[in-house]
Order: sequence, then C-alpha cells, then structure tokens
Amino acid sequence: MIGNDVVDLQQALLDSNWMRRGFINKLFTAPEQQYIRLANRSADMVWLLWSMKEAAYKIYNKHSGVRTFAPLKLSCSITGLSADACQGQVRVEAECYATMTTIYPGDYIHSIAAGSAAALPQVRVQVLPNLPKIDYKAMQPTCVSHHGRYLALIF
Amino acid sequence: MDNEELISRLKPIVAVYAQDKVALESMNPETDFIKDLKINSANLVDVILDVEEAFDIEIDNQSMEKMLTVQASIDIIKHKIGLK
Repeated sequence: MIGNDVVDLQQALLDSNWMRRGFINKLFTAPEQQYIRLANRSADMVWLLWSMKEAAYKIYNKHSGVRTFAPLKLSCSITGLSADACQGQVRVEAECYATMTTIYPGDYIHSIAAGSAAALPQVRVQVLPNLPKIDYKAMQPTCVSHHGRYLALIF
Repeated sequence: MDNEELISRLKPIVAVYAQDKVALESMNPETDFIKDLKINSANLVDVILDVEEAFDIEIDNQSMEKMLTVQASIDIIKHKIGLK
C-alpha cells in the first residue's frame, strides 16, 4: 500500500496563510513546529510536513476505513533532508509509515508514503499538468493527488 | 440558534474555500466539506479557525477530527455555544 500527495507551492501561497493565528498549532505537533522554526524556508517546511501527513493519511484511511481530520495524530519525523529531498516517517496510532519527498522550490512538493522504507524506491511517480482532459484513471495509478497546476500519479 | 440559522451563518464561511459553487448553493446538513464542496484539506483548518472567530468558541482537537460535514459542524457549534 502506498499513498502520495502533491502541493503546488504557488497555489498554497494563494490559498493559505500559514502564519495566521492558530493555523500552525492546529496542524502541527511541537516537534514539527520546531522543524518549521528552524527551517531556512519555513513555508516550504510547512508544506513538506503537510504533504507527508496527507500521503500517510491516505494509507491509514484505506487500511482503517477511518475518515477524520486529525492532523496532530499524524506525527512526522525527518530522518534526512537536503535542498531537494526529504526522508522521514509518519506515525499514526500504532502504525508507522516511511516517506520520501521531492522538493522543487517555487514549484511543488511531492510526498510518497509506504508501509516500509524498502517499498519507496519501487514506487513510480508521474507528475503532470493538472488538465481536465487527462484521463488519468485509464493509466490505473495506485494513488492520485492533484493540487493547483499539478496532477501526481503513483504506480 | 436553530439549524437553519446556523447553516446560514456557516455558509459564507465555507463559501470562501468551497471550490464547487453548485454544491455550495444546495448546502444542507449532509453536505461533506471535502467530498461535496471540494474544500482543499489544508483549508479545513481555515474553516475551523473562521468558525471559532465567528461564534467566539474554541474547537478542541477531538471536535476538529469530526468536522468534515455541515451536520457535524452544527453539532459541535451548538455544543460549544451551550458551554459558554
């Protein structure tokens, strides 16, 4: 089981004011808030952590059948971070998912999550322009995410 | 405050984030914020913060977990107003 999530950074800039009062506290745990505070580009870190949570939630939701808005119960930790990639884990209750994120500053952030880190390199990713004419269902992706200008498929 | 009044106060709040304007027009207790109104999940927190401000209530994390539909929101708002 794998999950993914794409964040169009320009769309996020238009749609969300992550600096508004209460926003960070309702979405991010104390250690996650520390990552945001210490990051060179705080906004990118906000969306990086958010996409990790969303990718992991998609697996959790499919496994458990539980539909909820509980971002604080999805707890991220980062094990490796560079300018364009991030490896991490997301814990939800007794589950722990491995994540791999690619970062294109100014464009988009895309995370994939899987039950184990060993499964991540086998995931094939395709990021396309988010156009209504694309019949992505015919491509039979395992998981789909779209946001703003981007459509991200994983196989 | 009855359900109808609550929905009429809730509607302009969610209208800011709802991408499906047709579903917004026919918003009712069964309406789902994400599935029907196509609100981006990152904007759900804005709905919650706006509701907190508009009704002068505090929505705890446990309540927030359930706030995926209009009915759930009505129940939570009524409960929190009752606590004041």
